[in-house]
Formats: sequence, C-alpha cells, structure tokens
Amino acid sequence: MKQITLAVLSLLLGSTAFAQRKIDYVEYDLPNGLHVILHEEHATPIVAVSVLYHVGSKNENPDRTGFAHFFEHLLFEGSANIDRGEYSELVEKNGGTLNANTSQDRTFYYEILPSNQLELGIWLESERMLHARVDSIGIETQRSVVKEEKRQRVDNQPYASFITETFMRMFKEHPYNWVPIGSMDHLDAAQEADYVNFYRTFYVPANATLSIAGDIDVEETKKWIDKYFATIPKGEAINLYRDYENLTAEEFSAKYGVEKSNFKKESFTTPTDAKAKALIKKLSNTAIDIPRPKKTDERPDGVIQDVVYDNIQLPAIFMSYRFPDQTHEDMYALQMMNDVLSGGSSSRINKNLVEKQQIAQFAFSFAYGLEDAGMGIFAAIAAKDQSLEDIQKAFDEQIERISNELITQEEFEKIRNQYENNFISSNSTIAGIAENLADYHVYYGDADLVNTELQKYLSVTREDIQRVAKKYLTQDSRIILHYLPKESDDSEQDKN
Amino acid sequence: MKAYFFAIALLLPAISFAQDRSIRPQAKAAPTINIEDSEVFKSDNGITIILSENHKLPRVSFNAVMGSTPEAEGSLAGLSEITGSLILSGTDKRTKDELDNEKDYIGASLSADHNSVYMSCLTKHLETGLSLMSDALMNANFPQEEVDRIIKQNESALISAKSDAGTMAANARSVANFPKGHPYGEVMTEETLANINRDAIVEYYKKTFTPEGSYLVVVGDITKEEVKAIVEKYFASWQGPASNKVELGSGQFNKGNRVIFVKKPGAVQSVISVTFPMNVKPGDPDYLKLTVLNEILGGGVFGSRLMQNLREDKAYTYGCRSSVRITENGSYFAAGGNFRNEVTDSAITEILYEIEQITDDYVKDAELNLTKSSMAGGFARSLERPSTVARFALNIIKNDLPKDYYQTYLKQLEAITKDDLLMVAQKYFTPKNCNIIVVGNEEVIDRLKQFDADGEIEKLDAFGRAIKETIPADITADQLIEKHVLAMTQMPNMKKAKKALKKIKTMKQTMEMTMAQMPFPMKSTRIWTAAGVQAEKMEAQGMKIQSSYFDGNAGYSSNMQTGKKELTEEEISAKKKTAGLIPELNYAETGMEYEIIGIEMKNGVECYVMKTNDGESESYDYYSKEDFKKVAVLSISQTEEGTQEVSTTISNYMESNGILFPSEMNISVGQAAFDVKVTSIELNAKIDTALYK
Repeated sequence: MKQITLAVLSLLLGSTAFAQRKIDYVEYDLPNGLHVILHEEHATPIVAVSVLYHVGSKNENPDRTGFAHFFEHLLFEGSANIDRGEYSELVEKNGGTLNANTSQDRTFYYEILPSNQLELGIWLESERMLHARVDSIGIETQRSVVKEEKRQRVDNQPYASFITETFMRMFKEHPYNWVPIGSMDHLDAAQEADYVNFYRTFYVPANATLSIAGDIDVEETKKWIDKYFATIPKGEAINLYRDYENLTAEEFSAKYGVEKSNFKKESFTTPTDAKAKALIKKLSNTAIDIPRPKKTDERPDGVIQDVVYDNIQLPAIFMSYRFPDQTHEDMYALQMMNDVLSGGSSSRINKNLVEKQQIAQFAFSFAYGLEDAGMGIFAAIAAKDQSLEDIQKAFDEQIERISNELITQEEFEKIRNQYENNFISSNSTIAGIAENLADYHVYYGDADLVNTELQKYLSVTREDIQRVAKKYLTQDSRIILHYLPKESDDSEQDKN
Repeated sequence: MKAYFFAIALLLPAISFAQDRSIRPQAKAAPTINIEDSEVFKSDNGITIILSENHKLPRVSFNAVMGSTPEAEGSLAGLSEITGSLILSGTDKRTKDELDNEKDYIGASLSADHNSVYMSCLTKHLETGLSLMSDALMNANFPQEEVDRIIKQNESALISAKSDAGTMAANARSVANFPKGHPYGEVMTEETLANINRDAIVEYYKKTFTPEGSYLVVVGDITKEEVKAIVEKYFASWQGPASNKVELGSGQFNKGNRVIFVKKPGAVQSVISVTFPMNVKPGDPDYLKLTVLNEILGGGVFGSRLMQNLREDKAYTYGCRSSVRITENGSYFAAGGNFRNEVTDSAITEILYEIEQITDDYVKDAELNLTKSSMAGGFARSLERPSTVARFALNIIKNDLPKDYYQTYLKQLEAITKDDLLMVAQKYFTPKNCNIIVVGNEEVIDRLKQFDADGEIEKLDAFGRAIKETIPADITADQLIEKHVLAMTQMPNMKKAKKALKKIKTMKQTMEMTMAQMPFPMKSTRIWTAAGVQAEKMEAQGMKIQSSYFDGNAGYSSNMQTGKKELTEEEISAKKKTAGLIPELNYAETGMEYEIIGIEMKNGVECYVMKTNDGESESYDYYSKEDFKKVAVLSISQTEEGTQEVSTTISNYMESNGILFPSEMNISVGQAAFDVKVTSIELNAKIDTALYK
C-alpha cells in the first residue's frame, strides 16, 4: 500500500528543484532555433544527453488523445540510419541507459552514457530529430505496448484513475481535460497522416531544447552539436528534407515544383540549382506554426461531487482546487502552504487525520503545477471502518484553519529549513541537472532559476501563505470525488 | 536575437550537410574509474563503522544496520515489520510529536525498519540529527497507544493488500519459494497481526537492536576524527546482547511445475511471476555470473531476451523482466510482469521457453558483450551516488568478499565467458520445476492447467493461504463407504464384498521407504490378523528403529530414542476405531466420528472428502469420484510440539486375492518426505505374531 501511495505521489509531485550550489552552464541558440544548454562537471565520468520537445498531451487533437505519449514510444523505433531495435541497443552496448517520458506539457528523452560516448549520444538524438523512421510493425507493436502500459499503470492500479477523473472535471475547455495516457480508441483510430503531421509540426529544432550535463569538454561538445544538430535544416526546410528522403521523384516535384534530383543529400541546404536554392531559402525562412492552447482561467462551477467505483477495498477521497499555473508568483506561497499541510510526519494533515483522529490510512495534499494551469489536491484513503464524510470534515477544518490563521512562527521556520535542505540536496545527479536546466528554460524562460529559485521561496511571508490559502482553497468551487469499492464476488474469499 | 543568429548562419556556409550521417561516432578512450577506499573501524561495544567521506555537498548520512539473522516468527508473522514502524514512535526522552517536530524542523530525514535506523541531514544540523537518531536506536519505548494505532493501521493495510496485485504476487512468491519455518516464507495475516502485542515488540527490539555485530554506515561531509568523536559521544553507551547469527535453511524445491493462482476480481491484466529458489549466497563466485546471466535473460536493459520477445516482438506487455535475488539468508529467481488477460497463457509459455532456452544453449557473443558493457556502464553510473562506495564496503564485510572486489569488478566482469553462464544456468535454473504464480481475473484460470505438472491449480488468497473450493457432495458418507468397499473388493454388492473379506485371516505387507536426505532405504513390515492383531516394525540397515504392537485390547509402541511405551487409553480407543482390512467398513460400529465434507480437487483428481476423528487425530480422506479409490489422506494431530500434519498421497493399487491394496505412497511430515513402495503382500499365510512383540 505504501508503494501505491508513493507511486501516486511521485507521479504527481514531479520535480520541485533548487540548485544545491552554483550550477555553471552555457546556453545558446543554433540558427535553426534549437536551444542548447551545457553544464560541465567531472566528478563522475558520465554524461547525460537530453532533448526536451515542447509538446505534450495538451497539444493533441481532442479526437487523438494519447498521441504525444504514443509518439514518444515510436521515436525509439529507429531512423534513416538506425534499424528497428537498434536505438536502445546502441546505447546499452556502449554502457549507457536511456528512457523518455511525456507529460501534459512536454516530451523528454535522455541517454546517460560513459563520457567517452558523448558523440554517440548527440548523434542518436540528432537522428531522432531529423528523420526518425517508423514502420507498420513498430506502430502496431507500440500500440499494444502502450495499451498494456495503461492497463498496468491505471486500469489495474487501485485509485490510479483519480487523475483522469479529476482533470476531466476540472477542465472542460482546456486540453488538460485529458491526461497523457489518453484514449486507446483514439490510438486505434490513428492514421499514417496523423503520425506524419505530428512529427512535422512538433519534432523540429525550434520546438526543442538540447541539454547536456556531466563530464564534458564544452568546446568539443559544441563542435559535435554543430556537426549533428546545426546541420538540421531550419523552419519548413526540415520537412522538405524529410520529403526528399521519403517521396518518390514524381511526388516530390509535384509537391514542390522542383525536381528532386536538383538536391543532393550531402549538400542538401546548399544546392547549385537556382530553383532549388530559392526553395530552400523560402522554406528556411518559413517558421513552423506550433499550435499551443492558451492559459486558462476556467474553474469548477460550484462544488462538483461524484462517486467513482473501483476495484478497491478501502474508500478514498480526492478533493481538488484550481491553482494558478506553475510560473505564477503565488505558486511559491502555495507550495509552502502545502508543506505546512503535508510536508513531513509533523505536518498538520498527517498529525491530525492519520495519527490523532486515525480516520485515514494515508492522507496528504499536493500542489500540482502545469504550464497553463495548476491544481491543489487533498487525498486520503480511509482507515478501516472510517467514513469519507469524517475525512472531508477534517480536511475542511485544516483548510479553514490555514485560511483564517497565520501559520506559527515555528512552522514557518521549519518549512524554510526544509527548503534550504532541498536546495542543497537537489541537483545531485547530472541527469537531474540536465532536466532541471531544460525545464526552467522552457517554462520560465530562465535556466538560471536552477541557482536562484530558493530566493523566491525565502521571500514568501506567513501573510502570503494565509493570503493564497484564502484565495485558492475555495470551498464554493471545488471537485470532490469519493472512491468506493465495486460490488464484487469477493465475499466467498473473505470467509476463508 | 534570432535575427542575429540568422546573420551568422549566412556568413558560415560551413554549416551544411557536408557530412555523412550514416557514419556512427566512435568512442573516445574509456575514462578511468576510481573507487576510493572506505575507512572501516570497530567501536568498543562491537559496532563496525564504515565511513565514506565525500565533501561535495554539506550533508551527512548515518545508517545503523543490525547484525542478527532474521528469525521465523510463526504465529507472530509481521512482528519485525511492526516493530520497525514503531521505532520512531517515541522514546524515554521524547514523545512521537516531539521527535517528528525536531526532525522536520532541521529538514532531516529519519526512518527505521525491522533492522535499521537511518538519518540524513545538513552537516550544520548533525548534532541534533544524531541526538534524535541515537535516541530512537537505543531508547524506543513503544507507547501502548502507538502500538494500538500502528496495529490498526496495518489492519487497514491488509485490507488494501487485497486489491493490490503486486503485493498478492509477492506474498504467493514467499510461500511458494520458502518453507514454513523460514522467515522468507512467512506472510503477515489478520490472525498473526492480532497475536502481536507490546511485550513481543519490546522483546524483539531488545534482542535485535544491539550494538555487537551491528554496522554504522556513514557517508558524506565528515572526517574520520569527527566520526570517532561522534561514536564515542552518541553510541558508546549503547549496550545489548550479542547479535544472533544462524544458518537458515534453503528454499523449497518443486518436483514439476506448480501453478498458483490468486484471484483479483475485475483484473484487466494478470501479474505473472515464474519463480524458483536457488542455493547460492552473495559471497559465492557464481554470484556475478548469475547476475550477468539474468541481465541477458531479463535484467534492466531493453535488449534482454524477455523484453525483446514479450514486449518488442509480441507486444504482450509494457515490460517483462527477471531478477535474481541473492541474499545471505535465502535466494530466488523470478521472471514476469503484467500481461493482458487474453495472453496470460501465451506469456507463460514464452517466459518458460526463454528460461529453458538459456539453460540449453550458449548465449550469443553479441548478447554477452552488450551485457558486459551495459553492466560496466551501470557500475560507473552508480558511482555518482556517494552512498555507493559505502555500500560496497558493507557488502565486502558482510559477505566476506575479497578486499579489492569492487576495484577489480570490471576485470571480473570482463573475464566471464559463455561457458561460465551455461554452467550457472544449468546449476541453478530449474525450468521444469518452477512456481508459476498468476494473480488475476478468474476468467484466465482454465488456460493455466496445461502448465501444472499434476494438473491441479493451487488457489491462494491475498496472503498466500490455500483456498479450498468445496462443492456439496451428492452422496452420503455411508454411501461413499459402500462404494469404496466395493471398489477395493471388486465386488458387485456388499454381501459378496463382506464374504470375500471374511476369507482373509491374515495379512503381511512389506514396504521400502526412501527419503531424499537419507542415504539408505528403510524397510517396514506390517501384519494384521482377523483376531485383531495389528503390528508394525521399521528397520534400517538391519536395525529395528521403531515398532508397535496391538492385540485388539492393549499394546505398546517403541522407538530407539524413547524406548517402549504402553498405549494410553486414548490410543487404544483410536486403534479400535481404525481396525480392519478396510477400516471404513467398521466405522458405523466402532464409534468413529465421520462425515462427508463435499467434493474437492486433489492432486488433479475430483474427490469426495470424508472427515474422520478417532479421538487422537483428525483426518481428511480423499476418494476419487470416478473409481472410489482413496487417493490421499491428510491427518492432523496435536502433539507437544504443536500441530502436526501428515499428508499422504496414494498413487498405485495392486491386487492380491481379488482385493486391492495401495502399493505406492508419498508421505510428508513437515519438511520431510518419504516415498513408500509396497514390495510384497501375503494373505492368509501363517504369521508368528510373537516375532512382532
């Protein structure tokens, strides 16, 4: 059970990261728009190579939900120069490890390699960006694999559907309505054109951040980045190149009015033919329009209360409130408010609901920050024979208290100490540093928050915490989900 | 900014496609990997201190790990776990609230389990952190209300476990791989939890949390001199008994594959675990070879055989992996994952195929090389965490590894050959003797039979306890007895059957008994006479080791250890109730308690179950529904050592004078199992009963 709760927690909390010490880095843009961030440190002879694509489930079509995550799976299938199955093999046989993940807002790929294999990592990621290749076997296989992933992580996992259930009620307009795993029917309905369009729109250098950290030499790394990434065509020219590789001569000339033979693979961006030259120039200067939803103000219209029946034994409650998006100044105070309520065993919710009243088996709250909107969730699994009504009442008492009274000076110092500890402890791995730098750049436009964000927290006052509690923990606008056990044929088993 | 870069791009035509992307980058020279030595020293009260200094961050961690071997907890299963979750619930000096507050105030983390207490904090808060940690380690006082609270919390957790497939599979794995009496074979249940009280907790804590034989692992921003002073200040006053190190027995090995099913209503996937115990310890030279073998089969990499076959080729699952868990106290292999209901059987087929394949044939050179490189890379990555070096030092001490084990790790890895791997595969992997555990929807169960050696699927509940499925019988106990008697005598009606039995005046039966742990067979002789004599003697290598004699009214039993003992009144009464060539025939008159329970599957056969009680022991007798032969007996009696269960299966009958007698049996008592073969049956021969007195 503990594992389930921790899994849910880690799923939701993401990373709230602060710099442990000064993290030095260099950053720059390539002409094709790719943003590059490099951090050099030599403590361990390993490197982390990562690419963050600014595309997540919120960029999906409402009738193709789950597509961003599905695409993440497909992009391990290979490229024009890498056969199916070879991508991971190349990393693993060279002593590395690799993976990726997809959220509502981004898709993040990484390799961690011995530092002598840095060039390999850069090449691999550039191949993925320029000309990933997926065949129908790969598509069918990954479609089934993703369905198994959903069954394993959501359908067969007690309580795990609460994220889906909460988001669909909180956001009626914004695409946060659905979660990254999406709909399996939509994946089944996907056509080749969907894959091609998704790749051509979102998997382009101007929509990506390359972040590398570890035992590197910055100058040498830059040379390799020039070699493999700077050569990726700019703007719509990247899709011209992809067509050059995939279309027949007839298709190509019909589409562009220029003969395919006027381009050469080795010197694609510098053709000698005048028409080809003009086409390249025109397309290079045509920026790709990346559709993005807008930040949203929508919030629950009143108190929305629902019951969800699940394959569970103990009932549970999930209460959700609209918080601002993650970059909003109030988020710092809200995070600290959340720590007073739920950070550590001496926190108010744990002391009260779990230890003193003993009405909940587990109880916690968390502040969920996303690019376009945020959410505060209070969650508890009832202790044996305890009612959800009592738990809700106990949560409400805590909400009332933190909205109407200043937190104590001791609590205030406690959470500040905790933030200092987090600040020093975070960024202890190079993979974490690479990811944090990319996140801060993409979401906040300021990679240096990796070094400075602690100050934002330390400038929050007790009054700020009370103010944001009052402002965002709105008892007249919230979602309350009760999870109850499904009727099952389990009664016979219980007798044994 | 963008325009500026664009301008530069125009000036630099060198950035073009003038290169061939299909040429794969070559690695530079491999970096050297340095592993620093840890400091190891001992305190006066017997703590081994392991220090790994690392001043990159201003933080320190202390982990106190106890040295005792885990013990079986029997009716208190779960005691150690409960104690662990109570260690931070208050001390002689601090209440739980005070402990929590002080810990959170300095932003430290403090945790405890059944044999360790861990603390980490910023260097500047070290004194406070250690004061809390050492207090919990030495002075935990287990307030009654906290004990009550944690027990209540665990009651709820046990309820939740019934909806968590992973926990259910782990519980089934424990009881399948390890016998009762081994701590790894125990699972906490509602009953064992109810038996746990504060006295037992305090006793466990005092016995286990003791300095002698324990380890204190220190990592981070601290010097040896500082650690020495700290040990003196915080841990010198710690006293306790010597730690208890014992050799635990091995796991239990199957004969043939055994399918175990745990029901999870509404499941959309089956959690599959194919598992078997292994007799190997961490200090064994085979350890690293087994680890490499497992990596190839189903370890962490995408390229492993299980992952490639079941995910990338068949798309049955999000992930299929295997692991070898090798510890000082018990080791096992397990492979599996989560698979949609429809492919549950296909997934098992493929997993078994891969396990078998790797024991049949050499691994490919490419696989071996990939795995070695991947493991070498993983080794290098693990060094990023400062705790790794300290863990290495602890492993060296605990497992008696050579001092330079980790310095030479990469060389040892490189030296492993495919011959080594085939050798360890054949030595430890038992693809024909697996436990195949499936937690899932009942709709999948019919497709699992094919994998079980005896065709009988064992059903366990969420906590690894057997579930019996009994349906009501369609005949009475007396009708069953009649059918059985007719089957044994091969007669069409009771009159003829009784007549046939009457013709038999004496019987002498000789048997040979063998046992895996015993180098020589035992011989047993049993006699019976119509006058009421029952006697038995057992010999090994010509020596009488056990005998019993009963003349119908009195008698005695005798064995080498205890000598001759007269039968008690209860024993005489019980003997009378089980007298006769076919004792069932006489139940109605002898006063035997008997009743029919219903129909159950036993050893793959549909059986009527009859429960009897002769006053000495309770017995469940299983009669085949098809031919009414007795196929198994489970006898339960209370002895001074507790409940004793004797389980007998009967697999073959032989005919003598028209009457059938069992000829092959397997008898198991606890961990001991005998194979019994009847070597002769003589009827109506002259028997000198005096020879058996």
